[in-house]
Amino acid sequence: MNLFRSEEHVERWLRGRSPGTTIPVTTLARLAVEWWSDRLSPEWRPRTRAESQAILDDLGLTGSFWRLPDA
Amino acid sequence: MSSSARLGCVDDHDHALRNATYGLFARLGRAPTAAEVSTESGRPEPDVRAAWERLHDAHALVLDAATREIRMANPFSAVPTPHRVEAASQTWYANCGWDAFGICAALHSDGRIETTCPDCGEPIAIEVRHGKPDDERLVFHSLVDAGHWWDDIVFT
Repeated sequence: MNLFRSEEHVERWLRGRSPGTTIPVTTLARLAVEWWSDRLSPEWRPRTRAESQAILDDLGLTGSFWRLPDA
Repeated sequence: MSSSARLGCVDDHDHALRNATYGLFARLGRAPTAAEVSTESGRPEPDVRAAWERLHDAHALVLDAATREIRMANPFSAVPTPHRVEAASQTWYANCGWDAFGICAALHSDGRIETTCPDCGEPIAIEVRHGKPDDERLVFHSLVDAGHWWDDIVFT
């Protein structure tokens, strides 16, 4: 899970390997806020799978690549 | 990385030790030892280690495969990585590019992320202000799909 200078750099780095998925850094930053903001809270409790999936879905991170596994 | 729906065997005592571990990590700027968490929580060190094992199995933190010390308290890494973050007057290491932003989010702090492009090796420096990056041209790539993030979390 790495940051790259551009999609062209991702494609060159893959060198023909099967790609995963690439998203804009702006989407990543929004995902990080939604995903991690509560980690140091004394009230932290684990999210359910549905709650985590909803975070991804709300950011448009849908499809099989972003489908969390069943428990 | 989700820890969702895997914490059935983790009870409130384990949650309290998890929170003590995370709190100490943020306060010390590094992973705490089991002895430090024991002192912080008032629980015997063997209880701390047993709870860490259950939390590891539940994906609530990650222990080193050999030493069973804290390896990851996501988004924080206990060991240096290529993803360095300056935030809240400390230097941190993130487990990946996502976690680098996650450290700023967890600390509720602006920050600076320093890493390198895996393709060309050029440095990448990002200023994070109010959760937003100052360079919107960058992209993030994940090789591993969400269904397999925890198959090998260190690789992911």
